[in-house]
Amino acid sequence: MVMHPTRTDATVLVIDDEPEIRHVVHSALRSTVARVLDAADGRSALAAVKAQTPDLIVLDLGLPDQSGLDLCRAIRAHSLAPIVVLTARHIESDKVALLNAGADDYVTKPFSTSEFAARVAAQIRRARTARPGTSGTVEADGMSVNFTSRRAQRAGTPVRLTPIEWAIMRALTADPGRVYTHQQLFDAVWAREFGDARQYLRVHITNLRRKVERDPTHPRVIITEPGVGYRFGTPLAQESA
Amino acid sequence: MAELRSSAAMSVVLWYGLLILATVVMHMARETQESQAHVVLTYLLIVLGGSVSGGRPLGFTLAAAATLLVSYYFQYPFDEFSLTKPIDAVVLSAFFATSGTTTYLLVRAQEEAAQARARTEEIEQLSDQASHAAALREAARFKDILLASVSHDLRTPLTSIKALAQDAADLGDANSEIIVAQAERLSKMVAHLLDMSRLNAGEFPVTIELNTAEDLVGAAVLEMKGTSGAERIRVEIDYSAPALVGMFDFVESLRILTNLLDNALLYSPANTPVVLSATRVGDWLQLSIADRGPGVPDADVQQIFEPFYRHASTSSTVPGTGLGLAIARSLAEAQGGQLTFSKRPEGGSTFALRLRAVGESILSFED
Repeated sequence: MVMHPTRTDATVLVIDDEPEIRHVVHSALRSTVARVLDAADGRSALAAVKAQTPDLIVLDLGLPDQSGLDLCRAIRAHSLAPIVVLTARHIESDKVALLNAGADDYVTKPFSTSEFAARVAAQIRRARTARPGTSGTVEADGMSVNFTSRRAQRAGTPVRLTPIEWAIMRALTADPGRVYTHQQLFDAVWAREFGDARQYLRVHITNLRRKVERDPTHPRVIITEPGVGYRFGTPLAQESA
Repeated sequence: MAELRSSAAMSVVLWYGLLILATVVMHMARETQESQAHVVLTYLLIVLGGSVSGGRPLGFTLAAAATLLVSYYFQYPFDEFSLTKPIDAVVLSAFFATSGTTTYLLVRAQEEAAQARARTEEIEQLSDQASHAAALREAARFKDILLASVSHDLRTPLTSIKALAQDAADLGDANSEIIVAQAERLSKMVAHLLDMSRLNAGEFPVTIELNTAEDLVGAAVLEMKGTSGAERIRVEIDYSAPALVGMFDFVESLRILTNLLDNALLYSPANTPVVLSATRVGDWLQLSIADRGPGVPDADVQQIFEPFYRHASTSSTVPGTGLGLAIARSLAEAQGGQLTFSKRPEGGSTFALRLRAVGESILSFED
């Protein structure tokens, strides 16, 4: 069992038309966050986002009055709070569309409560910590990357990265823990619209992993989100490993 | 073809017969009639009839024959070819031109009518096909909606059951741990049934892209984390092989590997390793899963990839739908790959997934 991450004073808004799922979310987040608010449809959800300014939003797809994608965009227009999507479908193109519409993470039903709580906590933490941007150091699983000095090292041993690998690392760590779609990473790294280097992205990531992972087949620094994209290893990934 | 020829011969015989008959009858009445009009009109009728049933060749030859007959039998002097009056020449050429032109026009009209009929039929067929295709699209859309709603309807209660049981299990309730495991099992079965129905519907879109075997293996190991026995999985990647890069559908391939790993962990003894290896074999990327389980009896080897196959000795308490291998093979084939079984000489089974490999040349990108 995974220990519940430290309780925060955060407020979470749960948007779900099924009372049972709202109950499950309440119970899962009981020891993680201070307050959980409910909304059963898109209209009241938007009202709550504006009035209550939650720190994180849990959005279930399949609301009766609005498509999840539209609601996700509408929320994004009013709030920068992380959005964690609950989905019953495991169709990857749907997840990609949601991430492109502003969602930060997704959890597929049926999910384990501890994993769900850990993901919510990680997203809250991520939103509250200053983003490393182009300065500062990011760390995951003993691998540290400093963009100011342009130095990467694992346990004191320098790791040499190529320019493209630096660009990938920078894109992934702009928001550590956030899931980036292949397209988003490609746009950030190659900054051009022609060609299909998106495919080579996977090959570059494989080469990069051979340098930054302890064991490339058990990645903890660059995590694959199958069919969707990649994320930079979060404390969540190390915690539950 | 033979039928066509014989019907053409029939109309030649028929219309030349009529031409001869009309000639004989009019010849008998010849002495009393000075006018050529009835003769010319009668022949014209025969020429038109012949062109309708025999087409241009018959029409033109009848017209030529009738012109000669008019000249020979019905223009003075009778029974010889000689044009004594200029008006006779005019009549002859007018008759020949009229019968020739009407033959030509009549046959053309017939052909155009036939073409129009064919086009109408073609249009009808196309519109039938179009409405059939529209019906198929509608059916596919309906199926998608149905699958989405079934998966939502089944997974939502499973989420509550699993989550609430887990809460209780975290507090130390042993029964709740069983509920969690069973809810997990049920949700895998739901996934299998949904996959199977999608595969049976013959519509399984795959996204074939450049992917690497290491990424796939890493994702499979991550996915299995939390499954009972996952610590028995050993990974062996052949780093000596040329880059393990291929063209395949990442998500469906991942589904195949997790199906196979689930099986291997389930059927092999708790203290034995399950080896997941990746290597290159010719033009293939080969991902193998080898276990030390009981293997498959020789008699059953052909059937293990059939839906609902379960070995007779498999206890009904071993969870499974009997669909995993059937789904895995269909998913492999849908992306141009293969899934095969082989016996390990020292005991146990190896399942090998082969996916299309890509040569090293494609990897020479600028960096």
